[in-house]
Amino acid sequence: MLHLITGGSGSGKSRYAEGEILKLGPGRRIYIATMYPYDEESRQRIARHRAMRAEKNFETIECYTALNQRDFPEGANILLECMSNLVANEMFRPEGARLHTVEAVLRGAWLLKDLAANLVIVTNEIFSDGAEYDSSTRVYQEYLGTINQEIARWADRVTEVVCGIPIALKGGDLE
Amino acid sequence: MKLVIGGAFQGKFNFVKKQFPDVKEWLDGYTCSRREIFACKGMVHFHDFIKRELREGRGAEGLAEEIIEKNPDIIIVSNELGYGVVPVDPFDRKYREAVGRTCEKLAAFSEEVYRVVCGIGTAIKKKEA
Repeated sequence: MLHLITGGSGSGKSRYAEGEILKLGPGRRIYIATMYPYDEESRQRIARHRAMRAEKNFETIECYTALNQRDFPEGANILLECMSNLVANEMFRPEGARLHTVEAVLRGAWLLKDLAANLVIVTNEIFSDGAEYDSSTRVYQEYLGTINQEIARWADRVTEVVCGIPIALKGGDLE
Repeated sequence: MKLVIGGAFQGKFNFVKKQFPDVKEWLDGYTCSRREIFACKGMVHFHDFIKRELREGRGAEGLAEEIIEKNPDIIIVSNELGYGVVPVDPFDRKYREAVGRTCEKLAAFSEEVYRVVCGIGTAIKKKEA
């Protein structure tokens, strides 16, 4: 099963996503962390999250770019968080896929979907803002928006989390 | 009237083409004239039309009322702009406010309003026929 979870910053989508993996039962839990440790603050944040997830029996695998070139165990319940970091890494990091970001990310997501028992992907709503952005930020929005639409098309369930409340957009409570 | 809103790059145009296949031509708010809006079946980039109006020194006041009066069956597609931090630039603030207020009036009049997220349109208003 593929479940795409979206929502604004601080909406509670991570907590909801972890809960969705826990609901699947005691199978092997893999957390794919995409946030690059840029500085001390992000390292501390990552360490805290890692400790929190260890209590829930998640194994953490860091993956900042090239999802499709990594080996992940088969048959696990996998949580990928967050698509917005992965896309930014692919676009802006030196080893990233740059112009081929959409293709690289979708290839990786497709691969994961095939080998996971269940895959939950967390993404981010960054599209409903009134400010004028520079062109690279617009391209970033376009890439992430395109990826979100494509994964939503493959997904069995799509959920938007607002104030911690899950709203089913596809599958789930709608059926 | 029908209103379709959602963030940028959410697949709104694909959604309306599927949802309203009878509309063969979609007017583009990025290039159209005000007069064309009153004669079309459907238009996309409504927010861009408002931005152009503001840039040319015309306000958006009365626009919603005029569309409701002259083209009550139109299908309008607009970006949702109101979910970010208050923009630093005064024009951006005015633009964001104008799109929000105009869409609010159009939504109040519309018999159907859809919101598109990740390519999926959800009816957030639907009057019983």
